[in-house]
Amino acid sequence: MNLHLRPILSALLRNRTGAVLVAMQVAIALAVLVNALYIVTQRIEKMGRPTGMDVENIFVVQSAGFTAHYDLKSSIQQDLAWLRSLPGVIAATPSNAIPLSGGGSSQGLTIVPGDRTRDNSFGYYELDEQGLDALGLHLVAGRNFRHEEIEPPITVDDAGRFVGNVILSRAAAKELFGDQNPLGKPVYDTLKHQATVIGIVDPAMNSWVDNEHSDWVFYMPRLTSSLYGGVRYIVRARPGERDAMIRLAEAHLSTSNPDRVIHFVRPMTYFKDLSYLSDRSMGIYLLTVTGLMIAVTCLGIFALATFNVATRTKQIGTRRAVGARRADVVQYFLVENGMITSAGILAGCALALATGYYLSLQYSLPRLNLYYLVGGVLVLWAVGQLAAWQPARRAAAVSPSVATRTV
Amino acid sequence: MLGYYVRLALRSFSRNPGISALMVLAIALGIAVCVMTLTVFHAMSGNPIWWKSDRLYAVTMDNWDPNNAADKKHPELPPPLMTYKDARYVAASRVPMRKVIMYTVDATISGAGTAPLRTPTRATTGDFFAMFDAPFLYGGGWSAAAEDPPPPSIVLSRETNEKLFGGINSVGRVLRWNDQEFRVVGVLDDWFPRPRFYDLNGGSFSPPEDAYVPFAWGPALSLQSSGNTECWKPETINNEQDFLASDCVWIETWVELPDAATHERMQTVLDNYWAEQHRAGRFPRPRNNRLTDVGQWLRDMQVVDNDNRVLVGLAFAFLAVCLINTVGLLLAKFLNAAAITGVRRALGASRRQIFTQHLVEVAILAVLGAALGCLLAALGLAAVHHMYSAAHLGHRGGYQELTHFDTVGVAWAIVLAVVATLAAGLYPAWRVGRTPPAVYLKSQ
Repeated sequence: MNLHLRPILSALLRNRTGAVLVAMQVAIALAVLVNALYIVTQRIEKMGRPTGMDVENIFVVQSAGFTAHYDLKSSIQQDLAWLRSLPGVIAATPSNAIPLSGGGSSQGLTIVPGDRTRDNSFGYYELDEQGLDALGLHLVAGRNFRHEEIEPPITVDDAGRFVGNVILSRAAAKELFGDQNPLGKPVYDTLKHQATVIGIVDPAMNSWVDNEHSDWVFYMPRLTSSLYGGVRYIVRARPGERDAMIRLAEAHLSTSNPDRVIHFVRPMTYFKDLSYLSDRSMGIYLLTVTGLMIAVTCLGIFALATFNVATRTKQIGTRRAVGARRADVVQYFLVENGMITSAGILAGCALALATGYYLSLQYSLPRLNLYYLVGGVLVLWAVGQLAAWQPARRAAAVSPSVATRTV
Repeated sequence: MLGYYVRLALRSFSRNPGISALMVLAIALGIAVCVMTLTVFHAMSGNPIWWKSDRLYAVTMDNWDPNNAADKKHPELPPPLMTYKDARYVAASRVPMRKVIMYTVDATISGAGTAPLRTPTRATTGDFFAMFDAPFLYGGGWSAAAEDPPPPSIVLSRETNEKLFGGINSVGRVLRWNDQEFRVVGVLDDWFPRPRFYDLNGGSFSPPEDAYVPFAWGPALSLQSSGNTECWKPETINNEQDFLASDCVWIETWVELPDAATHERMQTVLDNYWAEQHRAGRFPRPRNNRLTDVGQWLRDMQVVDNDNRVLVGLAFAFLAVCLINTVGLLLAKFLNAAAITGVRRALGASRRQIFTQHLVEVAILAVLGAALGCLLAALGLAAVHHMYSAAHLGHRGGYQELTHFDTVGVAWAIVLAVVATLAAGLYPAWRVGRTPPAVYLKSQ
């Protein structure tokens, strides 16, 4: 097939302003499309990481005692007994913090006591024997905490106390023990207190979704203290019963003990959504603006092609009169558009790579993946051809008689 | 003449209403996206106490681990918070005009005739209100002099006063704060510095706390910080006294230094204190005692995050595409009507007049585009605001507070409309003025 590239090109070069403008739009659109999609995919991957927890069915109660009569241990016992008696509840545990919420505690662990060479920090959670079940975590090795292992809460007077046993996330175990089997081995806190690793869960996440190592977690068999803004209960409901349980818990717990207040009863999704709010808004915003940009570029291509058709009516008529078929006319405009788009795409590739490089340098984002560039090129090419299609068809409809009528 | 150009422009619009509408829409979209992004960016990068931001300094000292910086990504910065010991030292200095040490606690207010109310509270020193220009509705703060022992005084936010006392002047009323009797000495008026520069831990755009009590009541009641507490040193902490003496940081420290001389003296105070403590075995890292003014503090704490810078870049790329698009459409439109221009030129209009005439036409398009853009931006921001508040998500991070369409947005739209006119209109207007009239007259 002969595309008649030479005459189309020389015609283009004689009247290039419009074409250059469209090519510029295509270039910018490509650079933005490729980089935006790359950022959005990263955010989607980040939000989609497995948490290991049954986030959808969990809700959290935060309760704080405020009078001298408030007794932490008996209050926890009463609340847990009541929560566990609900038919819609699978398991419930007290906890010092809420995973994925952005709030919590972390601490360094080592396998050599007093080793100060590694500066690592693991998010930790104080749970009881129902803890893993309440979070929906999967034990992949070892065993769960037993009821008699649950230690009393720390107080102001022994805030540095550690525990006898811990359960690690697989990522934490890997960081500490490498490929060795961690079960039964000791780990030490920064004060060189020793604990034994009795179980491994996988996957798992701590409280900080933006953290480089958000899968470094360990769990302690201990009742939580009220030192840090009250007690949290993490409660896992049967599928579909979460909201009903939240209403029940709110009504009962807020009046069951006059010496404390319930700060909130909230689904765990609330905390997860909040933690990912900026990622989600960034994604939505990027996609919307990129979409608009493609649409505007499309309009630009369409308008240029329409203008070209309108100004060349006589020329088209003449070509038709001397024997060009309709298909030839359509082809002419599509090829012309292809040339403009391709020029824009070529410039856009350079622009996209430069932008990607700048972003990776300036904002320490990962370097642009080239597959996105290939995808972006295909999309813009297709969009360009689609936008030129209707004007090209209109051009083909010009009748040969036009050529003779006005001259 | 201008009136005539406007009439010509309107006639030109009615000749191709479709293409004119497209141009207005393209300009409007570009401006709307820019205005939205810039509104949020402006709110984020604002300095809420600009009138005295070069007098207020955050005090930080690097007491961290000899082997590891407090923030590995910014090893040059000390931890943003101070230890109890060091903060108390600064608070005792007579050099600054005013000084504040503070932290936040989770408290419960009862005994005010309402149900117990969870009240996030700032434990702070008496200078807080005057130093940060917090406005009072009723009463005032507590005397900075009467700090030790502090009277059990409390200042309520306007909202808290409304919840507890129905908004009346509650000064002198007694309530129970964490089950201790406190007397209300003041009620603040609406006050929401954005970003909350004096405490950027836990959300830069979080609202201020619901109540304020004298700093010393926090440690006296063994209340832990509800904000960040960071410790690096393996220390056995067996009681509150151990904790207060530890190298854990949890206190925000600010001083007001009215002139360069005071600033210099304050720096000397810190450096001397550092040297003394260093000899006693503390401060293992190189000396890094900082007095950071508000503007630099906001930058050090990275209040404007990278995402927002990327979005501003994106918005301008989008505006560029919209304007290039408009240039193309204008060219097409003007050249399409070149025959009319040819007649005007032949009848004696100068190139300059043709240029002005077409630029007026572009300016009208840009103004219409800016007006529509403002409307779209206001709608867009309202939608984002709604998205945040519907999910009750924004309040904690304060995001929804960043999405108010205001005069800043309108100002940006006006600036962008001028930019759009010049960027999109100059070339086509010049080009059409340059076409020789004879060519077009001939072909008729």
